[in-house]
Amino acid sequence: MQKQITEANFRLLLDSLLFKGQRVVGPRRSGGTVLYEPLASASDLVTDELPRRSVKEAFFPVCEDLLEYRKEGQQVALSDVTAERFPETVLIGVRPCDAAAVPVLDAVFSWDYKDQFFLERRARTTIIGLACTSSDDACFCSAVGLSPADPKGADLMLTPLVGGGFLVESQSEKGEAFLETWRDRFAEPDGTQTQALATPATQPFDLKRIKAWLDDHFEDAAWDSIATRCVGCGACAFVCPACHCFDIVDEGSEKGGKRRKFWDACGFWKFTHHASGHNPRDLQPKRYRNRIMHKFKYYDDKFGQTLCTGCGRCIRVCPVGIDIAGVLEEIQEKG
Amino acid sequence: MQSDTVDTSCHAAIAEAVRTEARRILSDGTVTAVIGYAASRRKGSTQPIVITSVDDADKLIFSAACVNNLAVYLTKAKKDVPRSGRIGVVVKSCDLKALVGLMGEAQLKREDLYLIGIPCTGVLGSVLQPAALLTTASIASKCCECTDRLPPGCDFVPSVQLPQQPRLEQRYTDEIARLEAMSPAERWEYWKEQFSKCIKCYACRQVCPFCFCEQCLCDRNRPQMVEQTPRPAGNTAWHLVRAMHLAGRCAGCAECERVCPMDIPLNLLNRKMARELKELFNSEAGFEVRDKGPLNSYQDDDDQSFIR
Repeated sequence: MQKQITEANFRLLLDSLLFKGQRVVGPRRSGGTVLYEPLASASDLVTDELPRRSVKEAFFPVCEDLLEYRKEGQQVALSDVTAERFPETVLIGVRPCDAAAVPVLDAVFSWDYKDQFFLERRARTTIIGLACTSSDDACFCSAVGLSPADPKGADLMLTPLVGGGFLVESQSEKGEAFLETWRDRFAEPDGTQTQALATPATQPFDLKRIKAWLDDHFEDAAWDSIATRCVGCGACAFVCPACHCFDIVDEGSEKGGKRRKFWDACGFWKFTHHASGHNPRDLQPKRYRNRIMHKFKYYDDKFGQTLCTGCGRCIRVCPVGIDIAGVLEEIQEKG
Repeated sequence: MQSDTVDTSCHAAIAEAVRTEARRILSDGTVTAVIGYAASRRKGSTQPIVITSVDDADKLIFSAACVNNLAVYLTKAKKDVPRSGRIGVVVKSCDLKALVGLMGEAQLKREDLYLIGIPCTGVLGSVLQPAALLTTASIASKCCECTDRLPPGCDFVPSVQLPQQPRLEQRYTDEIARLEAMSPAERWEYWKEQFSKCIKCYACRQVCPFCFCEQCLCDRNRPQMVEQTPRPAGNTAWHLVRAMHLAGRCAGCAECERVCPMDIPLNLLNRKMARELKELFNSEAGFEVRDKGPLNSYQDDDDQSFIR
């Protein structure tokens, strides 16, 4: 279904949602940076800046409790977190590179094990995407098969109109239901043109050719030249909308504490450190190779898609200027 | 404050001189490798590069986006960077102080290095937009308070005329004064908020030349020393452990602050600690190799007022 909404009605709709007690999460200024956080009013919503961290944390938080334990005498009492308590949420202003990562994560979190923490949040969330009208030279969504207006992963897609307001297109039953619930706020499209979309400068990658090279070059001198400079932090993985590795620890004392799940990253030395002391990825280039292999080969082998949506965040935050789009160009030339 | 452009016209001559020198020392066998900066894909962006052949010397560049402290590649935390024979390394003054500190801590020997010093007009505070013009607003905070634009004691420094620098705000000094004027409770609130932003990506640790421990306290899990999860308790413990470990050692390169994806002002803590060490022990990071730091040596006249 296709509708249209004025800027004023859009803001009113947001305030109505909040007034009803609906949890609305979207890009908002938080300290010096923009993050996806719960909005307190429509005016909190930032529509002209890509949030520093991706939207994955709406389903896969930086850190969450899995259970609580308490020891009294010889008895240990465990209490589970009930996933049903996660609130119904409207995620708004989600960039196409972020929204497209959500179905990518769906596949991982519902494959051999159904992760109730991820899936329950996912079931309770409606995603309203927002097409991009500007980009920078770190953006490369169009190089990995997406676009600044790609609706993948969104339940509703907003595209800014010339002169203000948005064209609204539903992409799923959740989106249809949202349009139906708030039908008074929307109007029929009157033919107003949408604003010019962003034009990321990167040429489309031949992902098949890149994968073919990766299939045959687990061992290659190129890994050293590409990744010797990598310092082994987790910044790239942590800001990535599609990276999803995590660790689980028990924190607390003998008397009581919590089991927690939190973000982990393949760039860390500790990531593959075995209890025996052996580390199969003992040097940084091997760890960076895993990052590229996972995104452009292993994930494709298993789920038939790429684990990268071209948001460019890893490029912007890398302490040593490693540019994944540049790395892919280099690999493509070899393939 | 109105933002003025910083004159960076000497960068082209610096880059050319670095390339010529790298070619010379690689071809005559003075060094086996040179660690410097190369251009990256995005307009204006740069990345560290290790070159071992004369042909690659043309890749070396210098610009205001050459922000990295390359000393990190000479630490044992970066074991995979080829390190046989003498290594050439491009250094700004702040980076050189870190190398000098590492020599004092027996991590490096001066004779194993060939130092290519950069006459420095300052670098960008952030490379989120690497092609940004260097101005009094975009310049790194560390550069605003730098008094060592020419690195001393290097094997080679391009001879260029450094331009007059425009007036710069002393951002750390001002911010430390603002925080010191607060009550301890207000100051605690400020840092609690800053640390709450931490996502434990450890980029601060990984770029720090002084974070060369083979096993970081924060990675220990038998027993666990510091909560590993990115929550207030563990975050605060991590940043305080780091500030204390760096007290009297931090050379002020500010890499920790630059690379923080959550914009935590980490070098502010380091500058405050450096100031404490200067006041208490008359000790500060400089260009002279010292084999004893203020916190690992004892003198009769050390301040003992903290013992009550």
